[in-house]
Amino acid sequence: MTDWNAMTDAEFRKEVRQFFEAEYPEELRHLPHRPKFAEIEHWHRKLHAKGWVAPAWPAEFGGMGLNAAKLLIFYEEQQRWGVNRGRDMGVQMVGPLIIKFGTQEQKDYWLPRILSCEDIWCQGYSEPGAGSDLANLRTRAEIDGDDFVINGQKIWTTMAHDATHIFMLVRTDPDAPKKQQGISFLLAPMDQPGVEVRTITTLSGETEFCEVFFDNARTPRENLVGELNKGWTMAKALLSFERIFIGSPSLAQNALGQLESFARGRGAFDDPVFRDRFAQAALDVEDHAALYARFADQLKRGETLGADVSMLKIWVTECFQRITELMIEAAGPDGGSIGPLQVGNVSVDVLASFYKARPTTIYGGSNEIQRNILSKAVLGLPG
Amino acid sequence: MTQTDILSSEQEDLRLLRESVRTLFERAGGSDRARQLRDAGGGFDPEMVRELAEAGVFGVAVPEDQGGLGMGLAAGGVIAEEVGRVIAPEPVVSTIGLSLGLLRRLCPDHPKMAQLIGGEISLAVAWQERGPDGAPADATCRYADGKLTGGKAWVVGAIGSHGFLVVAEQDDGPVLVLAEADAQGLVIDKRTQADGSSLGELSFSGTPAAELASSGAVLTALAEAVADATALAAAELVGLSERAFEITLDYIKTREQFDKPIGSFQVIQHRAVDLNVMCEVAQAGVREALAQMDSETDPKVRAPIASRAKARAVTAAKKITRDAIQLHGAVGYTDEFDIGLYLNRALVLSAWLGDDAYHRRIWFEAREAEGAAQ
Repeated sequence: MTDWNAMTDAEFRKEVRQFFEAEYPEELRHLPHRPKFAEIEHWHRKLHAKGWVAPAWPAEFGGMGLNAAKLLIFYEEQQRWGVNRGRDMGVQMVGPLIIKFGTQEQKDYWLPRILSCEDIWCQGYSEPGAGSDLANLRTRAEIDGDDFVINGQKIWTTMAHDATHIFMLVRTDPDAPKKQQGISFLLAPMDQPGVEVRTITTLSGETEFCEVFFDNARTPRENLVGELNKGWTMAKALLSFERIFIGSPSLAQNALGQLESFARGRGAFDDPVFRDRFAQAALDVEDHAALYARFADQLKRGETLGADVSMLKIWVTECFQRITELMIEAAGPDGGSIGPLQVGNVSVDVLASFYKARPTTIYGGSNEIQRNILSKAVLGLPG
Repeated sequence: MTQTDILSSEQEDLRLLRESVRTLFERAGGSDRARQLRDAGGGFDPEMVRELAEAGVFGVAVPEDQGGLGMGLAAGGVIAEEVGRVIAPEPVVSTIGLSLGLLRRLCPDHPKMAQLIGGEISLAVAWQERGPDGAPADATCRYADGKLTGGKAWVVGAIGSHGFLVVAEQDDGPVLVLAEADAQGLVIDKRTQADGSSLGELSFSGTPAAELASSGAVLTALAEAVADATALAAAELVGLSERAFEITLDYIKTREQFDKPIGSFQVIQHRAVDLNVMCEVAQAGVREALAQMDSETDPKVRAPIASRAKARAVTAAKKITRDAIQLHGAVGYTDEFDIGLYLNRALVLSAWLGDDAYHRRIWFEAREAEGAAQ
């Protein structure tokens, strides 16, 4: 077993880069949509054979065991080469939870199946009445013999139509004094009569989001992870690394590169107003990267990140949106056209970038929620 | 030592430097001192200059073999941030960046170097000129037979300085000369700035001056010194912005309306967060830029880095100080509250050496030129 953490950062980066550049299928680079598993299965097999499906998991469970610093490098290289994250909800979300809170039987059964993608997971958190106010969720799970019986509805469930299992937050004690109490973390199979999936068509015409309806769906009692009614705290415990990852500069950097080649091809730089706005956006990205590096250094020194890391997400997502808006501006009369536009030897899908940028300020805790968090936890403002 | 050890010991040096400069300013009265000096007529305190010199402030970026600390611009930035926090009127950035920046590159053995580093004197750099339309113009100020003729504009630190480092033209090209403050035929016209400080408009009519350096090297050194001063002014604005934000944050936590601190209202909270984020981005970007300038020797590369820093710092400082007034409400518009001092200082520092729009243009043009060269 390789001890990746013993390598220098530069050695490790080289190793990761070489593997991606040599092995990642060219046709899957910078995929503009979220793929179904069948589309990326050949890549997943390679990654699985290499033992790199789960970079953050401890080696004893089949992961790479990377520390935070190495993990950041791994993701940076992944994004640099446009490597699709694959169907990683299992690896990113449910695996770590099972590792931390699951029983030995749960670990033995589920973890290898996550790595091999024998099970493909989707995340059932949001509900129609529980978005930013997630603790308001109402989907009920009641014990009935050896099973939980589930009734309710989940929404914004990414790729549920291509998932075999769902991990979900459900209400198991409706009478708990606080709504954050009485929530449990449950695993359930999708392929059963009580589960119905409907896709939601987004503004961009994609169908990656779904609604999932539960009508007396069942899952065995042993699929409860952790203690009953303790799901909220468990789910929150996992978010700390995601908070820097979601604020990484890569999305905005890639968009800026696209904007530059597109605008150059279109002659948009002849306009001094456009030049200034481009310079603003480019400097916004560059200075954000400096702030990101400061938080990344904190991780590398082994420190825990504070709530202030949320500012990365606020800045970079809003910056990403401005860049894609400039792309539309540079497109002029083509700014409302769907599909790739050819400019010289580059092809840019202006609206695809624009649409991709819109939900970034909504998901992962909307930017308004992030501002609430910062104002209370960092600035110490009252109420 | 491993790389991490080197890194952290460097950071330790900077931390100690920051603490000593901060303590010095706080003992002297913090931002209250700036108000007192402004009310007394808008100069600076020569005694403070000597104390800063004792702490090694002015020689921070001068190499050790030239009598400085050799700590580079990153350390200069730490000092500039502290100057910005208490809006100190002493010519710290202009001395580190411009006067010593020129002398150490052109005539490191000149006795004025040691006097500047020692805080015994201050010298103002006169390099810009005003055209007939009032805007910056090409240099026409002449130096011949040991005498200066013509004018210079926007001279920072002109009032209270012991002399002027003047960039002029002579028959065979550019020249750097030194004119004493009381030299014959030198008239200093004072233009008062928003913060109470002054810019000097100098006019020379046969003013005696001593040649320090000549040839194209003068303009190269000037460009380098201006880049250094630009980046350090950015750091001063970062410190200023941070303190202006802290003052505002304290205010919204204590000011009550509708029986609650106004900082409990969400709209105020979100604005405060935006200012905080802007401040942190500016701090990270400017510190990174200063460190990059220390590891880079090519002037063509260093100049746009300085522009990046100033562009960011001005954008942040403008937004933060203006929103700070809004968040203070009516009292923010009074001279009695300190927040106005920060707004006024930000106006002056933003205009000096180019504002954000100017530096974005310079940055973009350099980027295009580099792209075309490749």
